[in-house]
This record gives sequence, C-alpha cells and structure tokens, in this order.
Amino acid sequence: MDRWKRATAAALAVAGVAWGWAVWHAPVDALQGDFARIVFVHPPLAFAAYLGFGLTALAGGVFLATRREAWDRFALASAEVGVVFCTLMLLTAVIWAKAAWGKWWSWDPRTTVTLLLYLIYVAYLLLRAYAEGSERAARFSAVYALVGLAVVPLNYFAIELAGGRAIHPDNVSRGSFGPGMLLPFLLGIAATLAAFAFLLVRRFELGNLRAARAEQTASAALREGG
Amino acid sequence: MNALLAVLWKDLAIEWRSRDRFVAMLVFSLLVVLVLYFAAPPSLDAALNGYVPGLLWVAYVFAGVLGMNRAFAAELENDALSALALAPVDRGFLFLGKAAASFLILAAVQAFTAVFFALAFSLDFWAVAPRLAAVAALGGLGIACAGTLLSAISVRTRYREVMLPLLLLPLLVPVLLAAVRATTQLLTIGSLPWPPIQMLIVADAVYAIVSFLTFEYVLDE
Repeated sequence: MDRWKRATAAALAVAGVAWGWAVWHAPVDALQGDFARIVFVHPPLAFAAYLGFGLTALAGGVFLATRREAWDRFALASAEVGVVFCTLMLLTAVIWAKAAWGKWWSWDPRTTVTLLLYLIYVAYLLLRAYAEGSERAARFSAVYALVGLAVVPLNYFAIELAGGRAIHPDNVSRGSFGPGMLLPFLLGIAATLAAFAFLLVRRFELGNLRAARAEQTASAALREGG
Repeated sequence: MNALLAVLWKDLAIEWRSRDRFVAMLVFSLLVVLVLYFAAPPSLDAALNGYVPGLLWVAYVFAGVLGMNRAFAAELENDALSALALAPVDRGFLFLGKAAASFLILAAVQAFTAVFFALAFSLDFWAVAPRLAAVAALGGLGIACAGTLLSAISVRTRYREVMLPLLLLPLLVPVLLAAVRATTQLLTIGSLPWPPIQMLIVADAVYAIVSFLTFEYVLDE
C-alpha cells in the first residue's frame, strides 16, 4: 500500500506542476478570454468523477461475485472520491455556464445527466450510512451501484428526448482546440487522474485500517470475555 | 413460474382483504393533485391543460413511491422475508411476482386517478383511453420494477420511508420524462409518438432485467 501511496503522490506532484506551467503558458481564448482556462479544469474533473462511479459499480459487482470485503471497501472509497470530484465538476460547470452562456443552469443534457448521477451516488452513500450491518450495506450498495450505472445512458437519451438544449461543445472530438491548448488539457487530465488515484488509495487504506481495528477490538473483547 | 404466480396471488389476496395500499395510494395521489392545483398561480388556469400530463405523472410517481414503501412491509412481520428467501426457487421469480402485484395495484390507482383528472379538469379522455392506458401501463411497469428491487433494499434500512424516494426517484427520470412526453402529445395532438414509447420499453426492460438478476443478492441473508 505504501508503494501505491508514493507512486500516486509522485505522479500527482509531477503532473500537477507540469499542468500549472502549461495552463500559465496556454494562449488566451479569442472569445472568452482568460475565463476559458477553466476548460483545463472542468472536463478533467468530469472524467475523474465518471471514472469514480464506474469503478464503484465495477468493484460492487466483483464484491457480489467474490464476497471479498476488500472490494467493498474499494467501492466505498471510489464512490466517496467520485462524489468529491463530481461536486467540484458541478461547481465549475455552474461558474463556467454563467460566464459563457449567461446563466447558472441551462438544463443542458450532459450537465443534467451528471447532476442525476451525482444524486444517485449521494443516495448510494446515504444507503451505506443507513443500512443495518456492514454486510448488508455492502450488498445493497453494490446492487444499487449496478442499477445506477445501468440507468446513466438511459437518463442521457431521456433528457435529449425531452428537448434538453444541447449546448455543450465537443471540443476534442471536433478538433476545435486552438493551437497550444491541447497540451495543458491533456496534462489537466493527467493531473486530475493522479489526484483521483492518490485520494482513492488514501481512502481505501483508511477503510482497511478501520476494518483491521474493528477486528482487533472484536478479538480483544472475545479474549476478555473468555 | 409457479413461484411467480404464488407470490402474485398471495400479494393480491392480502391487498384484496385489507385494501390498505390501494386506498392509501389513491387518496394520496388525489391529494397530490389538489396540492399541485393550489400551488399553481390563478393565471395558470387557461394554460393548465399543458400541465395536466405533468401533474398526472407527478401524482402517479408519488403514489407509486408510497405504495412501493409498503410492498415489503408485510414481509417483515414474523420474518416472512427470510421464509420467502428460503423457498427453493430462483429468486428472480419472487421478484417478478412481487413486481407484478405492485404493478396491478398501481394500475388500479392510475385508472381511478385518471378518471378524477378528467372530471376535475374537464378533459375528454375517452377518445384516447386505450392509448393513455398503454402509456400509463408502460410507466407503471417501470415504477413497479425499479420500486420492487429498491423497496426490498430500503425496507431493511433505518428511515426506510425516507430512503426509498431518495433511491428510487433519480432512477425513475427516464420513465417520468418519456411518459410525460408521450402523454402530452397524446392529449394535445391525439397521436402517440414512437420515440418516448421506445424509451419507456427500453427503460422497463433495463429495470426488469437488472432487478431480476440482482434480486438474488438483495434477499441473500
């Protein structure tokens, strides 16, 4: 675990510094000025958030199949870190929307689907908090994460169907990034994913320590009782 | 298959003798309509017809959530849920039985609520009644499938009445959106558009398949 911690911390330090440097030297956007630099923060946060939710469902599925508790602790760590990145992503979305589109919230399909996904994962964390017994919490939340993941594409199509105005650009796929903007964007993804991995490893370790501590307390109580 | 029918028959027989879910859901859905009506500004009266499909579905979804909260409540008494889980059958069929019973109860509530709507807002549902019933059934199926799985989960958590809507409502968005869309077009243009119906069928299939496969793990005590 220590090796993972060191590796992710080093990756975060390197990518973070390179990212800061690249964003500093990135050209100013013709239309949005310096404000467009948020593009180096907002989509990478979204990638990390979606990765977190995908990993939660995946780890939940593996837990259901193998019943090894470590997978459940990994799913919880991934959900918590994913919710943190999703919160930041929605905050940057709202700020950028006000600056670029003129209002804080415009019911754009992609933003709305992400808000729904966010609510699903907040419900996931609440379910874990309110389920009675850790074994039940693990099983129920794994099932919920799988159902939640299955509904994400449905939500997207449903909101498009309802005529949600799609004003979200697809910069990278259309190749409309100006010269000098792709590098800081890619470094942003690298740095954000490194931060995600670092936090995920730390949170997973915390869960492992808590589980070990609970086991120690239980066996100590048994010895005293005997 | 026999397990499905046995569970369905048991749930419907309990409901027929007590009628507590049906009455509670129906009264609740009528109250939702009243609350929404009083919450609307007076100037909305003329434009209200455009909102009727939305109001109708808000009533359906809230009544559905209320009913789903009770779907497994009776199974908790005398630990009947464990007995159900012990039955030597595929648990997916137990899920289908529970979901089918909830679907039928919800469908009855939907029908009565629609009649109330037609009277309250002077709408003529007769011409579109079969197609409206088809949309309501597709939406109700989604609510019953997702609701049954999540009710089996939420009934064994603390604050279970609070937990179910938190879990269920974000998952019901595709059903709600597509059903409102289909109902709106049906009531205004008089024809049923295909894309929302397609959406409803796909959403129902996803809920049903995922729930059928994962119900095993929910009952696994």
